[in-house]
Amino acid sequence: MSKNFFEKAVDWGRRKSPWIIHFNAGACNGCDIEVVDALTPRFDVERLGLLQQGTPRHADVLVCTGAVTLQTRDRLKQIYEQMPEPKFVLAVGSCACTGGIFDGCYCVSGGIDSVIPVDAYIPGCAARPEAIIDAVVKLLTALEQSQKAAD
Amino acid sequence: MLMALFNIVIFPGLLFLGIYALFFAFLDRKLYARLQNRVGPPWFQPLADFCKLLGKETIIPQGADRRVFVSLPVFALAAVTTAFIYVPIWSVNSLFPFEGDLIVVLYLLTIPTLCFFLGGWYSTSLYATIGAVRALTQLFSYEVPLFMAMLAPAILAETWSISGISAYYAEHPLYILINIPAFLVAMVACQGKLERVPFDLPEAETEIVSGTFVEYSGRLFAIFKMAIDCELVVVSALIAAIFLPFHAANPWLGFLYFIIKTVIILILLCLFRASMARVRIEQMLMFCWKILTPLAIIQIIINLLVRGALA
Ligand code: SF4
Repeated sequence: MSKNFFEKAVDWGRRKSPWIIHFNAGACNGCDIEVVDALTPRFDVERLGLLQQGTPRHADVLVCTGAVTLQTRDRLKQIYEQMPEPKFVLAVGSCACTGGIFDGCYCVSGGIDSVIPVDAYIPGCAARPEAIIDAVVKLLTALEQSQKAAD
Repeated sequence: MLMALFNIVIFPGLLFLGIYALFFAFLDRKLYARLQNRVGPPWFQPLADFCKLLGKETIIPQGADRRVFVSLPVFALAAVTTAFIYVPIWSVNSLFPFEGDLIVVLYLLTIPTLCFFLGGWYSTSLYATIGAVRALTQLFSYEVPLFMAMLAPAILAETWSISGISAYYAEHPLYILINIPAFLVAMVACQGKLERVPFDLPEAETEIVSGTFVEYSGRLFAIFKMAIDCELVVVSALIAAIFLPFHAANPWLGFLYFIIKTVIILILLCLFRASMARVRIEQMLMFCWKILTPLAIIQIIINLLVRGALA
């Protein structure tokens, strides 16, 4: 069944206004600096409709950095559950993808995908701002394709 | 009956106000971006945000009172839209002018703030409660200078209706110069009403995440956002009607004047927003009570004296 006008408008809105929230699950702070860098006027992500939000309730994309420590595991899960559907997760940096250099540490449970489902992985230590923006664009393109496929 | 329905739903009611508010939101964000040397969002950005929020899941916190929580955004939007009906758009007169509509509009514009407060309070979240208390504290500080600044021109014009004030100053354009201090006070105080940057304490994203709106998501947040955007239009239209009463006899030309005037006010408001950082709550109270209020009182005294001299 093809979608009606309103569903199409909502789909279009979803592609054009990804609001993000940034969460540090136990990064060394290198990747966090890069995420903040990506939000500066120099990169101007607002041209893609991207806005940083303070609360998970307003966000569509959860941008996670760092390996998940045992301390943050429950918090990460809580924040993920607080976000309204539909929601996406970006894992920024090698640590977030796999656990990176912290993998196997006594206090680390692994990459972000050991706790919550991840939609896009951005490797790099630290991931460059360009890579982060590129990942967002790829995520939105993939979303568009899945929307088209569902239509 | 049909005409009234047209006025409420299409022009100058919900539909026109909504579209103009989205345009204003875009202009505001674009200007802000250009002032920061960025490219800024595309023209459809506020519309995309609105559509997306409408399609998102709406979460109601467990501790919240469901009925109040859901109805508050609608109340806020309804109050703002009602206020817009009493603001002149295409000519000197508004749709239903009556003696005292200035006061009615000012009070109607207070309702959204109260809705923000109640919304934050009923969310039963810690951040939302802090934001709610700040919203109310802020209300008591900017409301007094704002009201006095709006009433000072009314004293000179000897009428309490917005249309009457517009007509008076359109007849005596030079008297506008007397009201310049009141204009400045109103411009600064309305930043507090609109919760924009120097005075955006209730939603301060970096300290109390987003204050009163922390728990609002999806459709309810979309309506709240719409109410805020509409409030920006209504307040600039009100300031334009009172302080910049340049009108044309032709309704189309008058409408063009309306757009030019409100956009000028928006540019000024945006300059304020881009050039300032957020103040602390007690700094804001101090500023409003010690600087803005005395200025507004002086303006009222000047207007009373001028009135006496003219009589
Ligand atoms: S990927 Fe590198 S920079 Fe990023 S959190 Fe891990 S160690 Fe730090």
